[in-house]
Amino acid sequence: MSVESAYRILYGGALIVFSLLIGAMLIRSVIGPAITDRILSVNMIGTMIISCIAILSQYLKESYLADVALIYTMISFLSVLVLTCVFIPHHPVRSGFGKNVFLSGEEKEGDKG
Amino acid sequence: MIPWIRFIFTAFFLIAGLAGFASGVLGVFRFGFVMNRMHAGGIGDTFGLFFIMLALIIGSGVNMDSLKLLLLVVFMWCTSPVSTHFLSQIEYDTNDHLFDRVKTEEEGDKENGTDRIV
Repeated sequence: MSVESAYRILYGGALIVFSLLIGAMLIRSVIGPAITDRILSVNMIGTMIISCIAILSQYLKESYLADVALIYTMISFLSVLVLTCVFIPHHPVRSGFGKNVFLSGEEKEGDKG
Repeated sequence: MIPWIRFIFTAFFLIAGLAGFASGVLGVFRFGFVMNRMHAGGIGDTFGLFFIMLALIIGSGVNMDSLKLLLLVVFMWCTSPVSTHFLSQIEYDTNDHLFDRVKTEEEGDKENGTDRIV
């Protein structure tokens, strides 16, 4: 057995394990009781897909997939941030954090103070 | 012989990273409180990603591609704490029963008998 085929078996097995873990996190995002669980599982799915793309770039020997992984990292971070920024101002906030940062001085009804 | 030694190191670090991700997923399923689940998610973001990228860097050798993977780790280590911070901010804002599970600093000091210098 050559080294190349050994690498292919290793990376293929890692991709299969990652697909199982991503399926498990998808189940968590469906059954998660609170919004925090759902956003957390989306974040973890993003991290695992980044690892998958990076492994795939070595598996297929395509260098541009590393760039794709880099862009995916930025978009995954941005999705969590945007979901948070959308969610916080539309909820009665305890800390006043969302009101101060995201609504820029607008008064929010139902504020607990 | 040298390529096989490199392959063994790659396999070791790849399996270590996979174990990190698996422990993160297990923690997300098994822990009972959201803050604990965030901690388990952070393990996958830092430990798992670092060891996967280390394995790929060892497997591919030092070139432009491995530099990109290193940049990916640096970027992920910078952004993962920020997203965890925002998630805990959401939890603090929306969970009405948060202080059934979380102690404030004063309560913790009173229970432990420690004196915190502020």
